[in-house]
This record gives sequence, C-alpha cells and structure tokens, in this order.
Amino acid sequence: MAQVELNDPIYRTTPERTTKMMVIMLGICIAGGGIFFGMWDYWISMPPPAGLLTGDVGGDDHGGSDKGSGAVTLTGVEINSALSFIESSDFRVLAFNALPGEEGANPTINANVGDKIIFDVVNDGKSFHAFGVTKDTEGFSNLIPGSEVASMNEPLKPGESGVSEFIPTEPGTYYYICTVPGHRMQGMVGEIVVTGAGAPAAAAPPTGVSHDFTFDFVESDDFRTLGFDKLPGEDGANPEIRVNSGDEITVTTVNAGKSFHAFGVVSNPDDFTSVVFDSEIAAATNPLKPGESGSVTFLAGAPGTYYYICTVPGHALQGMQGTFIVE
Amino acid sequence: MVLELQKPRPIWQIMFSTHHTDVGLLYLITSLAFMFMGGALALLLRVELFSPGVQIIADSMTYNRIFTVHGTTLIFLFILPSASAFGNYLVPIMVRFKDMAYPKLNAVAFWMIPPAGALIWLGFADFTWYAYPTYSVVSAPGPAADMWIFGLKILGVSSILGSINFVVTIMKCKHPDLPLSKMPLLAWAYLTSSLITLVAVPTFAAALLMLLTDRLGASGFFNPAMGGDPIAYQHLFWFTFHPEVYILVIPAIGFMYEIFPRFSRKPIFSHGSGVAAFTLLTIVGFASWAHHMYATGMSFTEKTVFMVGTLAAVPASAMHTFNFLATMWGGRIKFATPIMWAVGGIALFFSAGAGGVVNSAMPLDFITHDSYWVVGHFHLFVMGTILFGTVGFVYYFFPYVTGRMYNEAMGKIHFILSFVGTVLVFFTQHILGLFGMPRRIYDYPAIPEWVQMNIIISIGAFIIGIGMAIFLGNLVWSAAKGKPADMDDPFGLGGKYYFPYQAKNPSH
Repeated sequence: MAQVELNDPIYRTTPERTTKMMVIMLGICIAGGGIFFGMWDYWISMPPPAGLLTGDVGGDDHGGSDKGSGAVTLTGVEINSALSFIESSDFRVLAFNALPGEEGANPTINANVGDKIIFDVVNDGKSFHAFGVTKDTEGFSNLIPGSEVASMNEPLKPGESGVSEFIPTEPGTYYYICTVPGHRMQGMVGEIVVTGAGAPAAAAPPTGVSHDFTFDFVESDDFRTLGFDKLPGEDGANPEIRVNSGDEITVTTVNAGKSFHAFGVVSNPDDFTSVVFDSEIAAATNPLKPGESGSVTFLAGAPGTYYYICTVPGHALQGMQGTFIVE
Repeated sequence: MVLELQKPRPIWQIMFSTHHTDVGLLYLITSLAFMFMGGALALLLRVELFSPGVQIIADSMTYNRIFTVHGTTLIFLFILPSASAFGNYLVPIMVRFKDMAYPKLNAVAFWMIPPAGALIWLGFADFTWYAYPTYSVVSAPGPAADMWIFGLKILGVSSILGSINFVVTIMKCKHPDLPLSKMPLLAWAYLTSSLITLVAVPTFAAALLMLLTDRLGASGFFNPAMGGDPIAYQHLFWFTFHPEVYILVIPAIGFMYEIFPRFSRKPIFSHGSGVAAFTLLTIVGFASWAHHMYATGMSFTEKTVFMVGTLAAVPASAMHTFNFLATMWGGRIKFATPIMWAVGGIALFFSAGAGGVVNSAMPLDFITHDSYWVVGHFHLFVMGTILFGTVGFVYYFFPYVTGRMYNEAMGKIHFILSFVGTVLVFFTQHILGLFGMPRRIYDYPAIPEWVQMNIIISIGAFIIGIGMAIFLGNLVWSAAKGKPADMDDPFGLGGKYYFPYQAKNPSH
C-alpha cells in the first residue's frame, strides 16, 4: 500500500452544495407529493380478486361488489314444512319424509318471494343429519344464514329435532338438503320453487297511531352476553314488541354499555344487512359509541314477524335480539 | 451533507458511484429523509388520538393507511438503510480493504430502495406492516396492497444483497494480519446481523409471493375459503421478523461499541464478551418467533419452548449492557452529544428488555396481547435503543462526512427532548395497554384514564417532534455553515479513530 500523504487537503461541505442537495430532495418530495395526493384514492380502488371470488368483499365505500342487502318485503305468509330424515335399512338411500319412489318423498315446497318458510325437522333415522337451504345445485356449502338446523360438525343425533326459517329474497329454485357430506348425493334433497315477488302483503295505510319505545344496550361484565334493557335470562330483557301495520314507531336507543352498538329492525335475525322499514339507528360501520344515543321514526310495514337486533356483527347472536311483530 | 471524498464532484457522479463511501452517503441521506417522513406520520396519528372523536383523520381506513406506512417506512426505509450506511462507510476500513467485496452489487442494493420506497409511499396500503391474512388476502384494496407487497419484495432482495456483500467483505477480504477475533465489534455486529438476514429474510420473501398469488385467487395458502391457513402466514412472518428485531438492534449496539470507548477514553471492557453476545443473539433470535402468537391456540408445550427461547436472549443483552457500563466505569468521560445518546439508549434498552422479559411469560402475554402494551414495548426498543444508537452515531459521524461540526448545544437539546418524550410516550403506552386499550384503533371511548394517558402520549410525541425538527435544522445548517472540524480528532478526545473521510487513511 502506497504511503499516504498526511497533508492531503481536507474538503468540507459548502453552503452551495448543501443548498443544491436540499433543493434536489425537496424537489423529489414536492413532485412525489403531487402524485401522492393526486392519486390518493386510486390506489385503493380495486378489491383483490381473491375477495371477489369468495364474495367476501362487502359493499363498503372503497369499491367492491355490492352483494345487495338481504332486505325483502315480507308477504306475511308463513309456510310450515315438517320434514323428517329417513334412511333405507341398508343406509344407501336417504330422503326426507319417505324413501324415494314412495309417496311424499322430498316434497317440493312452493313459495313466493317474501314468504316465511318455517322448517320443523326431526331426525327419524339412525345416523347423524343436519339441515340447510342452499341455492347451489350440488354440494353442501353456501347455506343461507338462518336456514340451518345443526351442522355437519355438530349434527342432529337420532331422535333430535330443530326449527329454522328461510325467507327467499329472489325468485328461483332453492334446495333444502342434509348438510352432512354425501347425504345430498344419496337423495336427501328437495326443491323449494320460489316464484316472482308474489303479492307482498300491502302495508296498511298510516293509522295515525304512534308508539314510542326506548331500548338500552346492556352488556355483561365479561362482554359475552348482550341484551336490550336487561341481559337475557333476566326479567324485561329483549321485550317483545307488538304493533299494527301502519303505526308510526319511534325508537330511541341508549348505548349503556362500553362497546359499540347499532340498531335495526330486520327480517332475518341472522343477517344484519336485512334491515327493513328504514329503521336503522347508526350502523355497524359507524356505530353508537358508549354513552351516545340515537332515535329513529318509521312506519311499520307489512304484517309479519320481524326482529329488532343490534346490527353490529355478532351482537345479535350474543343475545341482542328481540321479536318485533307487526299485525 | 455531501461527503467530499476525493474532491468536489457533481452530485450525479456521487449518485452513480460504486465507491463504498459514496454508496454509504446515499444510504445515509435516504434513510434520514425517510426517518423524518415516517416520524411526521407518527405525529399525525398522535394528533388523531389526542382525544376521543375525530380530530384530523376522517376515517379509519385513512388512519390504517397512515400507520401502515409509518411502520413500514421506519423499519425498512430508515433503520435498515441507516445501518447499511454506516456499514458501507466503516466495514471496509475496519477489515482494511479498499472497498466492499462487490462494489456494483452494493450500488444495486442501494438503488433498489428508492423504487421500493416509492411503491410503498404512493400506494399507502392499509393492512399494517404485518399484512396478516385473511384481511390482506380477501379485503385489502389494491393496487396499494400489491404495491406494498412488491415494495417489500424489492427491499428484501436489497437487504439480502447487502448482507452477502458484508459477509463476503468481512470473511474473504479481511486483511490477513487481522484475526477475526480482533476485528472491531462494529464489524462483528455487521457480520452477525448479515448472517441473520441471510437465514431469516428468504422466508418472508416466500410468504410475500404466496400472499400475492393468494390475493390474485390463484392459490389459497392463507385463504380459509380455499382451504388455506392464515396462521401459517403468521409463522412464516414471525420466523423472519423476530430475528429481524436483532438485525435492527445489533448494528445499533455496534454503534454504541464505537461510541463508549472513544468518549470514555478507555478501551472496551471485554471485546470477547461482545463477540460472544453478538453470536448468542444470532442463534437465540431464531428460537423465539412464536412468542408473538401465544394467542393463536398453540399447545402449552410449544408456548413453553418459545417462552424459554425468548428468555435466552436476556443473558446476551445483559452482556452488552454490562460491557458498556464497565467500559464507562472509571473512564475520563467526555459527555458530548454522541455518548449522551448512547447512555440514554442503554437506559431505554434495559427498560424495554425488562418489559419484554415479563411479557414473554404466557400469563401476562394473554392480558397484554394486542393492547397498547405491545405498541409501547416494541417502540421502546426501536426508538429507545435503535434510533438512539443510530442518531448518536449520526452525530458522531457528522464531522467525518461533512468536514464540519454540528452544533453541540442543539444536539444536547435534541437528546433531552427526545429522551423525555420517549419516556412519556412509550412508558405510558405500557400502562395504557394494561388499562385495556387495544392497539390499531383510530378512535376510542371517553374512558377517563384512557383520555388522560392518550393526552400524555400525544404531548410526549410532540416533544419528540420538536426535537427532531431541531435535529433536521442542525444537520442542514451545520452542513452548510458549521464550524470546520479538526479532522484528526474532531471531538478532542485523543486516541485512535477510523478515518472514513479519506479513501485511504494513515492508520492503514
């Protein structure tokens, strides 16, 4: 290595060079800032393809396909359908109510959009079964929320029974099936034929009668149990509401808990998007904060059994739901 | 802020140079620029959280985008490049080689950073710097999320290339008269952190590709709707990013190993224990990743293994701390700005480490999980230890880069403001976490304790912000008009320095 001169000149930064450097950097920042704020919303405008495939992207403000709300005008018609799981003696052929070929096997249910079909299913066989409604022509997935009785993981044991509801929201053919894998292929499938928007029970003209209701959102100390006014199991929890079609309803809700809540009257308590009558107070995306309150006034529509729930996902399941009957 | 290495040259010649000090300068300027940008985002977040309700950020998604880019910027565009900056300056000199082993690869590794930074900053993705599925797969809106993934991919390749360069420079280009055991501890820091990078980062590179194809719907590794497992992503992620913590902290400790002996006017107390501690950290860093995931339903046995693996980092960290204290003990210490930052750094390193030890115990972890405790703990490490070590070294290095001295009084004020602010912000966040405030929320209910502590935190953040504004002014002003430094001994300490301001220095 060559001997280095120890008296090399020392070069130092100068104001000119420093200024030039700062001008370059600020220039990059200003030009970048123009692109940055100009394109601010563009970069979040596209939902991921995987989300579209599985339909997980909700219709929020930031793009995404709008799945449409589950809201439908109830017709007030209730169709009761008693179904039992039947097996052949060798377990190869399965069906509802009677074995295929016999009369009354897998009865076809005819309904109109907005009808409420109430299933009363009972396991009359010797193996495990579960019940659900789907629009898929094969397979046992995409069950319609609220239509299930038990599940393939926790099926009905022999002799057990259950009840569920299904309100078709659009015309077409639906299938009620046994959701235990393979059972549908073995014959446990029946059709539900839904024809156009039948004759929705007309909402009565405004009656001029008005009702005021006040609900408090309350939570248990561990936040596991929720209810209106009182916790489920206590007196006065989730009071049943009866009104007449055409009545004017004013609901005032107070968030007496520590987490976020929102209110709505729905046709399907398992689907928090099925809000009817424009009865929302706040929403899951912009809920009532603790201590806040809100109120809404609406006309009760077509007769039927509705539910008032907390529309924050999961809260209805934890107990925040009550019956709202329009007569 | 332009290093006049050989003679004044046009700036574009410095930009397209492959010389190690030129590349180091580019790294340094880029990383400091990103530090100020990422810090500004943090102040926005603290203004929003100052009190309940909406202050300046309109909706939760904007808030999420801001803190995602805040984290990504400061980890990948500030801490990693700033470590590379000083490594580029010093590693070749410390191993007595004329340049890095692969100068062009070195320049390529740097020039991957600006496009990656542009991708991250223009896109402003919203899925946090973890990018956990399923949100990142099925919901995070594109193209921002995809740009973030590509940006991180580029940064991963950049840091792998940089690490290869450091390892080869140290192992193959070291002067034959210099045994590995006598190599300065800062060079050891680069060797060990580069080795961790080479082992850890490819895992995340793979996970990023899987995330991208999952988003496109072509695969379903992490998408439960397609039979995938989101928890698998967390394992891949933390297999990279727990060791990454050591990649970040080891160079900062190496900086302190340069600062303490110089300013204490004493040799380092125990060179061997420093080497041993670096090596230990390299190994045990890989035995603790799942302590981030106790709440994902692991078995008790697994949790115990990772709890013990986490605790294994304690002896190594303590060896560094005691080494620093023993070096200062009985020394004629000159409390100039760099050593103040280093001392503050070890104080906060100890505090952060103490919080980490208790947090690695499963029972406490279940209480603190996803609360502000975790935010406080993590930030106390990256700000209190890593940034303090790095900023101290920036002050230490300033005269060598510019030939001018920074303003000492301003440097001390910057330190005091930063130290007070850091304690206010991150200690309080620990307590806030124990009071139950979850992390990553843009609004919170008006619980009196939460409101009080958030106000304290925001005020602390503004104090840090004032300090950083002073820092920026000091850097720019002193680079232009600072008083010329005595280049043989800028701090008036006597003793041996490394001379990065000359391509060949007289001590070679």
